[in-house]
Order: sequence, then structure tokens, then C-alpha cells
Amino acid sequence: MPPTQSTSRSRLEGGLLAAAGLALLLYAVWPWLPLPGRAARPRTVVFYGFSILGEALNEDVLPEFARRWRQTTGEPVEFITSFAGSGTVTNQIALGVPAQLALLSLELDAERLAAAGVIAPGSWRRLPHGGVVNRTPFVLVVRRGNPKNLHDFSDLARPGVRVVHPDPMTSGGANWALLAEYGAAARRHPGRESEAGFEALRGVWRHVVAQAASARAARTQFENGFGDVLVTYEQDVLGDAAKGKLPGEIVYPPSTVLSEHTLVVIDKKIPAADRPLIRALVQFLWSEPAQRLFVRRGFRSVDEGLNGDNPAFGRIQDPFRVADFGGWDRVKKEIVDGIWKDRVMKEIGK
Amino acid sequence: MIGRRHGAGFPVGMLVLVLLPLILMPIAAVFVFAFGGGPGEFLKALRTEDAQFALRFSLLIAFLTAAINAVLGTWAAYVLAKHRFRGERPLAIAINLPVAIPTVVVGTSLLLLWGPIGLFGKLLEPLGLQPMFTPAGVLLAHLFVTFPYMLGSVKPLLDELEVTYEEASYTLGAGRWQTFRYVILPALKGGLFSGTLLTFAHSLGEFGATVMVSGNLRLRTQTAPLYIFAQFEAGKVAQANAVAAVLAALSFVIFFFLLRYSGKERL
Repeated sequence: MPPTQSTSRSRLEGGLLAAAGLALLLYAVWPWLPLPGRAARPRTVVFYGFSILGEALNEDVLPEFARRWRQTTGEPVEFITSFAGSGTVTNQIALGVPAQLALLSLELDAERLAAAGVIAPGSWRRLPHGGVVNRTPFVLVVRRGNPKNLHDFSDLARPGVRVVHPDPMTSGGANWALLAEYGAAARRHPGRESEAGFEALRGVWRHVVAQAASARAARTQFENGFGDVLVTYEQDVLGDAAKGKLPGEIVYPPSTVLSEHTLVVIDKKIPAADRPLIRALVQFLWSEPAQRLFVRRGFRSVDEGLNGDNPAFGRIQDPFRVADFGGWDRVKKEIVDGIWKDRVMKEIGK
Repeated sequence: MIGRRHGAGFPVGMLVLVLLPLILMPIAAVFVFAFGGGPGEFLKALRTEDAQFALRFSLLIAFLTAAINAVLGTWAAYVLAKHRFRGERPLAIAINLPVAIPTVVVGTSLLLLWGPIGLFGKLLEPLGLQPMFTPAGVLLAHLFVTFPYMLGSVKPLLDELEVTYEEASYTLGAGRWQTFRYVILPALKGGLFSGTLLTFAHSLGEFGATVMVSGNLRLRTQTAPLYIFAQFEAGKVAQANAVAAVLAALSFVIFFFLLRYSGKERL
């Protein structure tokens, strides 16, 4: 091949490469180009939430608020959101992510934020319902047809049962699950609660084969074929179960805990100009329309009267709350740390 | 052509058999799953606001990282190659270190330095500046992690470059800049090209450091790899795979150009 031809070919290739690079760059910067006719960036609210809230907030509740806000003020508002295990979210906020609102899966995480100086101690208790936006019971998800015949937390202790469980170090849901497993046994054995609870936890945790960082991640593991049973929020599996898309079925233990999800407002990340907007949003979360949207997405409303809206909700004989065990401060100290971490995990040697 | 034996069927077959589940099949799986629902589903998954943002943001960060590190890396290579000084070796080792440090550790150390509780972070906080959990934080992480690639591509060329060319240039009356521009830079062309592409490719795929410093905010700091991880964790495998397929395809193209123009002799 004559040299001239080869140079012109490599020139052509170089040109094509440069053009491809430019096209890629143009694609990347396109939304930020200040072209005429483009609206200014709208006001933004940064909202963090624990793992299972993603769809309910991103697709229903927040867009509905944005629509109403636009209707009353004429102003667009954009939501920047991030969802992960409640403990992960809490750690990120303590480290300074720009969260303005956060919906955490347990009050304990709110207290950790208060201890880190991010929010005023107890500030969430001044919100409606003590800061609790919605609830959901803890349930078991088993493989179709329930081949291992599992009906209660105590059945998870049977030999050969493989349990998928979120990790209590990073997942709020995992802490609720611990309380559910402990509480169900404790309530059945009045007088020797803590021994019965300890034995129940030991039985379950001997069989934990996978620990994911969040309840949502645990569910993904279960759906990918790990384990015989998953301990999780009813809400997270209710929608798919109703649509027949859940690769398993929900089992309601006779006695289980109703988790309560706490909202925190991080005042120091909210500019003065945005305060009315945030205040309106906070109020909206407890309003009937928002609560109905949560119910439609499988959360149980703090307004019991609305829970009839969702016929998929299962019945639980003996539901209990964290308050029945003295609140999260006590549960964390006595059950999560005192029994699960110091006794159960040491004995199992994980 | 020495030592190449005939009858290689068996050993080659064995190698392919071992590599199939290790490397070849996982690559194929991304594409198989991405197109599992048909091209319509694939495009729909790509067209969501979040996926589009993640891809554009990743590309933008990759372009910026490549541009900045192309300059910084060439400069560092030039200084290290042309000057003899005390502490030269420790410095050279230190700036090559990012290759060996786990990226999660990079993220942690950036947070500890620039975060609200860190040394710089504490100084910046009163000024209302907070680079962590913003695009600037992501850029810082990517600059750190990819720094050695440019250096590694350019410095060997500079080391091999005959001093006589430079001396001739000076003798002919060229200045420092002219010499750099017309004598040194053309000799580095291949290295600059492959270094920039390598930096770009690594930035595009960076995960460990980014996940620590970005705060993983959708529509603000969520890069494409973080998007893939978040969607996969949330059980939306189709969404995750669509973006994964795009990233994989992009990296194939980049790798192709790397081989075509510079890496041939190394393989």
C-alpha cells in the first residue's frame, strides 16, 4: 500500500475518533447548555429515605406534592432523593450529605443524628404522631407452596432452614426484625421474656445464610434464589405479591412488630427562603391524600381509618409496637446489644 | 515464529473452557439480560431521567478527569524525567500509589480530609464550601484514582527520548516552550493518547471511591456505576443491565482504540 493512502486513512480514522469524542461530549453536557427557551433550574429539596421508600416517594408522594405546590404557588419544585439502608443514610447525614429531610426506618437513627449534633434532640417528636409517618408489620416470605412449612418466627429455628436477613449494623429493618423475632417469643412466655427471646434469636440467627446491607438488598438476594425464607417489611413484598410477581408468598406470623418510620427535618441545611416550602411538605406527608398514597403503596397509615383502602393487608393476631418494650433506647440497649450482639452472635461465633 | 507448536487444539480448548465461565460468559450475560425484554424495553430503561442523568454525569466527569489529568500527568512526568533531585524516588512512588490503594480507602481518606469533620473540611465549612457529596467531590476522587495512568503512559517515552534532540533544538535557538511544543510533545503523542483514553475509561467505571464521596444523590451526584448498583440492589435488574450494557459497550470501543493505536506491541 502506498504511504500516502495509509496516512489519509489514518487521518480519516483520527477524524472519526475526534468526531465520536465530540458527539459524546455534546451528549454529556446537553442538559446544562444554556439554550434559549430553557427554564431556570427549579427549587430543589433533598430528601433521603430508607431503602423500601423509593417507589412510594419518587413516583407518588413527592410528585403529588410538587403538583399541588405548583398549583398554589406557580413554582416548580424538584426532588433530589437517595435511598439506602436506614443506618447507611444516617451515617451519610452525620458525615454531612446535603439532606434536608430524611425518613428513617427507626427512631434510633434519629437519636443518632441528634447525638451527632445534626438535629436538635427530640425535634422529631414535635411533628405529628411523634414523627412517625407510616407503619408496616414484619412478615416472612417463603418459597411458593411453603415447602418448609414455615408459619412463625420460631419455625426458622428448625434444622435445615436457611434464612435471608438484613444486617442490623446498617439496616433499620433488620433491627425491627430482631425485635419481631424476640418480641413474638417474649410475649408468649410472660415471666421469662428475656430467656425466651434469647432462645428465639439464637434459633433464627443460627440459620442466617446471607446478610444484606438493607431490607431491599436482602429481598433482592432472596429473589435471586438465596435461602428458604426472608424476614422483611410487609410493604416491600405486598405490591409484588398482589400482582403475582413475587417469587414466593407472604406468611403472617401470629405475633409480630409494626415498624414505625420517623421523619427528621435537618434545619441547618434549609435556607431561610425554602422554609415555607419544607413546612408545607412536612404537613403534606401527614395529610389524607399523602397517607392514602402510602396506603396504596402498601404502608399502613398512622390514621387507622384509611387502612381499609388496601384489601391486600394481612391480618395479624397479636401486633405489637416498640413502645410495648419500652421504646428504642431500651430495646437497643437490652435486646439488640445486650442479647443479640453480646450473647447470640458470640455464641454462634459469626 | 519460533516455538509455536502444532496440535494446540487441546491446550487452547482447555484454556477457553476455563476462561468461559470466568470472563467470557459474564460479559455475554450483561448483554443477554439487557436485551432480554426486547430492544423496546432496553430503550425504555435507558430513557428514564435517572439513567440519562447518570450516563451524562459519568461522561462529563470522565471528560473533565481525562482533560485535567492529561495536563497534570504530563507535567508530573516531565518534571520527574528531566530533573534529578533528592527525594525523587519517594515522590515518584507516592504519585504512583493510587494504582495500588483500594479505591474505597481513597474515598474514606478524601472524606476524612475534605468532609465536614476533616482537616480541609473544617476550614471550608465556615465559608459555606463543602466539596464532598457534590460533583466536585466526585471529580476529586476520580482525579486521585486515575492520576497514575497518564504518568505511566508518558514517562517511559520521556525517559527514552534522546537528550540530543532537545539539545539540538536549544542550539538552533528555540526556547523552552518551543522545544516542548515542537520537539517533545510530538514524541509523546502515542503516550498522551493512550494515557488519556485509559484515564477516561477508568473514570467511567470508577465505583469504590465514588460511592464514598458522592452521597449517591439521584440527578445530582449519581454516576452510571452507582446507578447500576442502586438499581440492582432495588431489584430492578433490567434498569441496571441497560446502563451496564452501555458502559460495557463504551469500554469495548475505548479498548479497541487503545489496541489499535498504541498497545499493539504490548500484547
